[in-house]
Amino acid sequence: MIKLLRYLSGRQSFLLFVLLEIIALILTIKAHDYALTKTHSLQTAISGNFNRTIYGVRQHFSLKSYNESLIKQNALLLKLLQMSKIDTALIPPTLPEQYHFIPAFVISNQYNLQHNTLLINKGYNDGVQPDSGVISTNGIVGVVQKTSPHFSKVISILNKNLKVNVALKQTNYSGFLQWPGKDPNTFEVVDLPVDAPVKKGDTIVTGGMSGIFPKNIPVGYITGYQLVTGRKSYKVSVKSFSNMTALGPVYIVKNRLKTEMDSLLKP
Amino acid sequence: MNPGRKYYLVLITFLVLQVVWFNHIRLFGYYSPVVFIYPFLILPLSKNESSNLLLAFASGLFIDIVSNTGGVYTATAVFVTYTRKIYFITLKNPTQKIEEINIDKISPGQKIIYFFIFILLSNIIIYFLDSFSFGLVISKWKDIIINSLISILFIVFTDLIFFNPAKR
Repeated sequence: MIKLLRYLSGRQSFLLFVLLEIIALILTIKAHDYALTKTHSLQTAISGNFNRTIYGVRQHFSLKSYNESLIKQNALLLKLLQMSKIDTALIPPTLPEQYHFIPAFVISNQYNLQHNTLLINKGYNDGVQPDSGVISTNGIVGVVQKTSPHFSKVISILNKNLKVNVALKQTNYSGFLQWPGKDPNTFEVVDLPVDAPVKKGDTIVTGGMSGIFPKNIPVGYITGYQLVTGRKSYKVSVKSFSNMTALGPVYIVKNRLKTEMDSLLKP
Repeated sequence: MNPGRKYYLVLITFLVLQVVWFNHIRLFGYYSPVVFIYPFLILPLSKNESSNLLLAFASGLFIDIVSNTGGVYTATAVFVTYTRKIYFITLKNPTQKIEEINIDKISPGQKIIYFFIFILLSNIIIYFLDSFSFGLVISKWKDIIINSLISILFIVFTDLIFFNPAKR
């Protein structure tokens, strides 16, 4: 025993190295585990406060582009309003007041890793809950993972763990959108049934089946596809409408009926 | 300036640069240089590396907390700080003591090789801990090398300006 203690005391640095690496690995694994960390987070709060300061400076220089983006969005909403008066089929198949949108800003955005996340400046004090969808004026952004009083950590769609239910806009055939991990604007849709009429240039929209995103939110357009023979389905390449490397204003999608929907889906 | 004070100034500058700037820029649309490792590469070597390891741990944890990245940067900083001692042990003369090696005094060529090896190692660790997949690290080898080259350009430039022995 004394020999062992003497041996270990001569390797103080090595033991400290192992201990510190174990702590760092535990922190990394905890951050990876989506299921375990869907809670309020101290790290989210600290990170949020720091990034809010940086964001304040950046926001000043980005006001022009945000304004342009909001003007475009207003124009689109006016157009939809006009169309909905004459064509009721364009109204999303959701119950009145089912979805509520909370405006927020992205204050920190990762897109160079494989499991990217982003921070937004709204937290549970503003009514944000884990598992809420986040969209921008151009498409989907991600899903809220955890919240602190004033901030929320969002799993970006540029995260290999996230799969989102999407559909072909014209025919409603659905599959799952995922990020292959390279170009921040290129995605793939998997498990699209083999009998779906797939064409280059077709628009992909959200499928709305999970209740996280409303139906018919534009995602991107098809740039190519291939048949996955073993699975009897298509794998489709999609170019996204939103630019994930330049995010500013976003909306948190709060589904007021999600708990009710989930309770029926439970086995 | 007192060398100790100068070192801490460099450390704080690089940590802040990493979290405020380098983690947010995307060179050629994709690459984010990893420069926070530089202060640990120029730390004086000592027989007992405990204080250096604790400094690396605290610095890495600062980046992880601010960037919301779990313990990715902490693990990288601690790994590099410990393994660089092994690197110098394999290179030194058998009679030479590790604390006698002065990183400032090694030749420019050797210094660039030393920087490149550890910056490449840092990038590999960051990619691996982010994905927990060796297959993905292998499939991204080109991106890892390009990111390492971009990082080393900035680091060598800084080293030449602020730590050039000829200037002191």
